[in-house]
Formats: sequence, C-alpha cells, structure tokens
Amino acid sequence: MLPEPGGAPTPADGGTSYDLSEMKCVILGCGRVGSYLARLLDGEGHQVSVIDLDMAAFNRLGEDFGGNMVPGNGLDEQSLRRAGIEEADCFAAVTNGDNRNLMAAQLAKEVFGVRRVITRVYDPIRAEVYRDIGLETICSTVIGAHMIHDYLTAATPAAQPRSA
Amino acid sequence: MSDTPRPYVLIIGGGSVGYHLARHLLERDYEVTLVEKNRGRAEEITHELGSCCVMVGDGDEMAFLATTGIERADVVVAATGDDEDNLVACQLAKRKFNVPRTIARVSDPRHVKLFSAVGIDVPVSATELLMGLIEAELSTELVKGVAVKASGANLVDVALPRLSSLVGRRVGDLSLPGEELLVCIVRNGTAVLPTPEVVIEQGDELIFYSRTLDIESVRELVASS
Repeated sequence: MLPEPGGAPTPADGGTSYDLSEMKCVILGCGRVGSYLARLLDGEGHQVSVIDLDMAAFNRLGEDFGGNMVPGNGLDEQSLRRAGIEEADCFAAVTNGDNRNLMAAQLAKEVFGVRRVITRVYDPIRAEVYRDIGLETICSTVIGAHMIHDYLTAATPAAQPRSA
Repeated sequence: MSDTPRPYVLIIGGGSVGYHLARHLLERDYEVTLVEKNRGRAEEITHELGSCCVMVGDGDEMAFLATTGIERADVVVAATGDDEDNLVACQLAKRKFNVPRTIARVSDPRHVKLFSAVGIDVPVSATELLMGLIEAELSTELVKGVAVKASGANLVDVALPRLSSLVGRRVGDLSLPGEELLVCIVRNGTAVLPTPEVVIEQGDELIFYSRTLDIESVRELVASS
C-alpha cells in the first residue's frame, strides 16, 4: 500500500495565539527549498534566520535578503540559539538529510518548545512514522509523484466532458 | 539450567562499537543480530561472527527492520557513529515495534538531553563517561556519584575533608536538606551503620542516597566550617 501525500498540514494553534504578521522563523538548510522558503518569508516581512554548514549556500539568498545567516550545524543547541530559536515562532528543517531534519525538528519541539515545527523528509515511510510521533512532515517525494501522476492520468477534454 | 529463552539483542551499526558489543554478547550466549548497511563491512564481520548474526541493511528503514525479528527483540542498541541515525532507529524500534528497551550511543554529549526527552531509555555518551572518570581521577576531594538505576536518585560517596564541619557531630543531629539519607559510613575500610548515636570522625567516608543532592551540594555539606 503506497503512502498518501497527506496534503499540507494545518497548525493546531489556529494562528490566534500570536502575531502572524511578523513571525520569527528559523530555517535549517539553505539549499533550494530552504533558500526559497527564506526569501518567501523574508519578503512577507517575517524575521528569518537561516542555518547552514556551508557558507557558500547563503549565496542562494540573494543580495536583498533581510534576514540572518547563521553558519553552523543545526543539531547543536549553540547554533540554534544563535539563530534565535528560543524566541522562534516557527522552525523548518529542510536539509537534504532526512534523519538530520528529524532530529533538528525534535530538538526544536521537545527541547526548545517551538510552536510550529515542520520538516521535509524524502523517504515516504519515514515521513509517515514521524507523523505518527506527532511531527509535521512534508514528503516531497510523494507529493511530487502524485502531482505527476495526476498530470499523466488526467482525462483530456475531448475524451470526457468534465462532470459539474 | 533454565528454560528462559536467551535475551535477543538487535544491534544497529557494525562499526567498532557494534561489532565488539556483538562479539561480547555472543560469547555470553545472547541471541544477537547485527545490522550493518555497508556490504563490504558486513562481509568482514560475517567472517568473524558467522552469517547467522549479520544482516545487511539500513537500520532506519522500516521495511528492512521488519525482517530482522525486531518485534521480538528485548533490547535494541543503536551503535552507529551518527547521532541522528541512532535517534531515528531507536524511536522506530520503540514506537513501531514495541521494543521494551532502547539503548543509543550518543557521540555528541550535548545531544543526550534530546535522546532522553524523546523517550530513549539509555542514551550512552562515551565522552561523558570518560569525563566523569577523568574528573574523579583529578579531583582531590574524592566525591563520586553513582546513579541508582530505577529511582533516578544518586549515591554520592564523599571522603570527608580534614576540617569538615561534620566531624564530631552525631548522625542523629545531622539535618540534611531535602530527602537525603546517610546510608553508610566507611571507617578504616569497614562499613559502619549510621545509627543516630554514631559520631562522625575524621577520615570517615560518607555515602548518601539522594534524589536532590548532587556532587556540588554534597561538597558544600561536608566542607570545612
């Protein structure tokens, strides 16, 4: 039985308990997803800190990025604290290592009590297991496969009229 | 002698720690499976331990773990050199396969807190163990602490400094902060039961059982007045 994509998770706090207009966000991993996410949040006016081991990765953020760049290994409390995790409203772990992402997410959630924590996991089964533990995960593998599947199997307009 | 089945230990990671642990347990007649993801390394170990005990695969892959007999394991030991892999493997073992006891090797001592927080039974930081031993060797005050397994308390063993404020006091007159119990006095190599009328002497070694006292507060307690 294949894992389901699960859709984008909804935070349980409903956004009512704190100011959504200017959140303090910590992102672990400045790869393609991390840098894109950082620029997105920065552009919306949030306070963003990005952590990455590789200094060159910060180049992806571009000239006008207004957030913080924190070199470091996001699995140790020191670099997380430098990135402001103690006051963070949200944390996203998007390195290319599933287990590193999971560990960082658990650190953020269990040790630092960050309210909104999410992680990207490549392996679908691991993603499901971690969801069971109560960690929000996005499995880009499964979501991507489903989107491609839907495109490939979509009925063409001529063959089948769309039902209302 | 007994009909009780041998304990079954699943070890994840065939590096130096995992391999020697497996060998050690096999010599003591435990049932052991060692899981190693590198095929070359797995072959090396199989040569030493026998093919019954070594499997090639990734200890944090659910599908593979299901083939290792993990659901009947008494203990899972995650002994890889990567803390994040050990963290994941132990949680899978506990939550998905209901393994009663998980032990994880923790390379970075700063991660121990997280391992405990997520319910891993025994996080083992070799660095911390060594640090404790080194400190005990270097310390001139001879205060040693031993954790008491189930209760979360400590046994703290302290050799009284020469001018300790406790010398000359009756055990019954001692007012210990919190819930401590003075469980034993070692005097000239013999154990003396600390009944209330016993008077503490110079050169005594005191052993306390305490949930709240740590090495620091015991140092203060026995310090010179």
